[in-house]
Amino acid sequence: MDKQLRIALAGNPNSGKTTLFNKLTGSNQFVGNWPGVTVEKKEGRLIVDKEVILTDLPGIYSLSPYTLEEVVARNYLIEEKPDAILNIVDATNLERNLYLTTQLTELGIPVVIALNMMDLVRRAGDSINVKELSRQLGCKIVEISALKGEGVADAAKAAIEAAKNGKTIPQHSFSGPVEHALAHIEEVTVHNLPEERQRWYAIKLFERDEKVVESMKLSDEVKAHIEQDIVAAEKELDDDAESIITNERYVYIGNMLKGIYKKKGKGQLSTSDKIDKIVTNRILALPIFIVVMFLVYALSMGTSIADGGISIGTFLTDWTNDVLGGAWLQDGSRAILESWGAAPWLVGLISDGILAGVGAVLGFVPQMLVLFLMLCLLEDCGYMARIAFIMDRIFRRFGLSGKSFIPMLVATGCGIPGVMASRTIENERDRRMTITTTTFMPCGAKMPIIGLIAGALFGGSTWVATSAYFIGVAAIIISGVMLKKTKRFAGDPAPFVMELPAYHLPAWGNVLRGTWERGWSFIKRAGTVIVISSIVIWFLTSFGSVNGKFGMVDDLYEDETVVTDEYVAVVADRMGVPEDEVEPMDDSILARVAQPVSVVFKPLGFGDWKPTAATVTGLVAKEEVVANFGIMYAYDDADGEEELEENGDQIWDRVAEDFNAFSGGHGKLAAFAFMIFNLLCAPCFAAMGAIKREMNSAKWTWFAIGYQCGFAWVIAFIVWQLGRVFAGGVNVVGLILALAMLAALLWQLFKPYKEAQKLTVK
Amino acid sequence: MMPLILADPGEEAVIKKVGGSPEMKKHLEDMGFTAGGTVTVMNTIGGNLIVKIKESRVAISKEMASKIMV
Repeated sequence: MDKQLRIALAGNPNSGKTTLFNKLTGSNQFVGNWPGVTVEKKEGRLIVDKEVILTDLPGIYSLSPYTLEEVVARNYLIEEKPDAILNIVDATNLERNLYLTTQLTELGIPVVIALNMMDLVRRAGDSINVKELSRQLGCKIVEISALKGEGVADAAKAAIEAAKNGKTIPQHSFSGPVEHALAHIEEVTVHNLPEERQRWYAIKLFERDEKVVESMKLSDEVKAHIEQDIVAAEKELDDDAESIITNERYVYIGNMLKGIYKKKGKGQLSTSDKIDKIVTNRILALPIFIVVMFLVYALSMGTSIADGGISIGTFLTDWTNDVLGGAWLQDGSRAILESWGAAPWLVGLISDGILAGVGAVLGFVPQMLVLFLMLCLLEDCGYMARIAFIMDRIFRRFGLSGKSFIPMLVATGCGIPGVMASRTIENERDRRMTITTTTFMPCGAKMPIIGLIAGALFGGSTWVATSAYFIGVAAIIISGVMLKKTKRFAGDPAPFVMELPAYHLPAWGNVLRGTWERGWSFIKRAGTVIVISSIVIWFLTSFGSVNGKFGMVDDLYEDETVVTDEYVAVVADRMGVPEDEVEPMDDSILARVAQPVSVVFKPLGFGDWKPTAATVTGLVAKEEVVANFGIMYAYDDADGEEELEENGDQIWDRVAEDFNAFSGGHGKLAAFAFMIFNLLCAPCFAAMGAIKREMNSAKWTWFAIGYQCGFAWVIAFIVWQLGRVFAGGVNVVGLILALAMLAALLWQLFKPYKEAQKLTVK
Repeated sequence: MMPLILADPGEEAVIKKVGGSPEMKKHLEDMGFTAGGTVTVMNTIGGNLIVKIKESRVAISKEMASKIMV
């Protein structure tokens, strides 16, 4: 056979599908997205036969068209027609798992069942007559333990065999009235389709499945004809067509299992139930949750073990930043390049531009890996699903889902994986809301900005950093409540229903693989964007046009025929500084661009080119804000002076002086407004890229970025204008505008919300 | 007939009817909440429920639980 075989792996969520997929394919995996949607698609080559491709379908309960996962899975099965389906069935939850199986067998594709967790069934003293089950379902069954890897290879071989020359004919039938209607429908609509698929199409037409009805392009006459049959069956069975089919499937399975599945004990609480009695207890749930989250945070991003804390992540990150990033990458590369006699601009580009940027990303990696490891652990052992449940009633009030908590927690480390983590939220509206608001959390790269402002203008006060978190959380809550009341985010509410997997010890293979997948995706995403943006920033600050000549500004300023006294006077006038303070940087492209842009920030109190340039480059990467302050406030580390500290403490005095100067003595207020804007405005390029990818729509991406910048501007405006009432020097127009904006915000916050009326029993 | 939110925790109840929007109803039914099936409330927290349906544990919000009649 020269045709490449393709097998689809299908099954319920929490049936051990991921574990089985990993066991079947090993490291031969390719991860991507299903076309057009943000549902992850995994494919791999089977270990037992490298010529066979296994496609992991999303975990689903049914082939109905209501969730993205179901649509993706059934489109693949119908349009791509894989050669066989390997259906993983959780033996401890046979009834619900077989519900999907009855649907899969109708597709006209050979089905092989991998019966997982039989060991647990036996341990409970129950028994399943596998032979009889196989006969009744009409497909081969292989007993496996995905976790231990037992029977996995046999299941794969059985699936290959079925793909080559198997055939599955559905054995179940529905009640008289339904079969009668189905026969009619088959007769008038599907006779020109391949025989083995006729039944599936007929059932879907009976269920009035919109997507199938559309794809069949039936004439109105035929539609009206089959509608008669459907209505007749509905009348006779007193229910709607969809429910009739669902109910009859379950009834059929229930009857079939009566002689096959022998249950010993009944009504006993499982260990998992006992744990849940404590963990989701109405009083203990929140305290336990807070302790767990505190541990996750403390271990990954808290105080380093070197400083008396418990964070391994911070310890490794500090080491990476100081030793690997700073010393080896940056200084080492400079020494090597200089010894090769490379041109100074090239040394600057590689050492200070690219490698400094790469080092900054690398620094985050250990913290992110520790964070991902713990999140994967929580996910694998079953606690993650409980978090969503516990948090849901709180988050629901702000228009977010209980699952929004995880993206926000991750975003305190880095916004990119934070935005990526929103993927687990099924409801599109909740997901978009989470993507839009999650980067309001102060990420690791924003911490130096906070450190700089707190140090330079507030005497290192800790309340500045605390307020940053408070502002982030408040921004999320306010945005959630406000946006929920706009048309864009209104729509069908998504009440919460979610399966809670039984607690179990983590499977380390899955945990480590999951950690690595997320970590690598972060490195790739952040790495490429940061390298490019580092080059861009380096170029923008190093090059410019000086007195009509374009080149590296540092070089041009050494040429006195170019930088004449008259020219210096012109620059000093343009930048509003004394002549002896004119620097090469003032002629860089960045300064030239930032100068006119600074008008935008005048009403926020920091309309000077330096904070403007820092803010603009902050859109590229937030790490660049402090680094740029360093360059702009003329900290010179090239002559063997020590490197600029992360929070820039060598330039604090100069920053404070400058902020006080351009804000008319309100330096603190201006600096606070500056910090607020930088915390809330659009995140870095890399995170914006993540937003674009997860939104999967240009319109929604621009909406999110526009909203973030607009919201940041309005809040900073209100703070600066109202703040001056207390600090003195009120601007009447500004104050009126600020009060108007505040009133608009409050009105949007407290106006009644109408969604509840839509949620009524029909 | 009463909504599931009023059922006694720990007691097995038989589902009489599932309501709600067509999507919600279908999703609940797919997960095993079908008329004639049994359901047991395991735990409540702030009105939301954890129930046992078939052999799985499902978390379900107050709004949805109020559409399931037992």
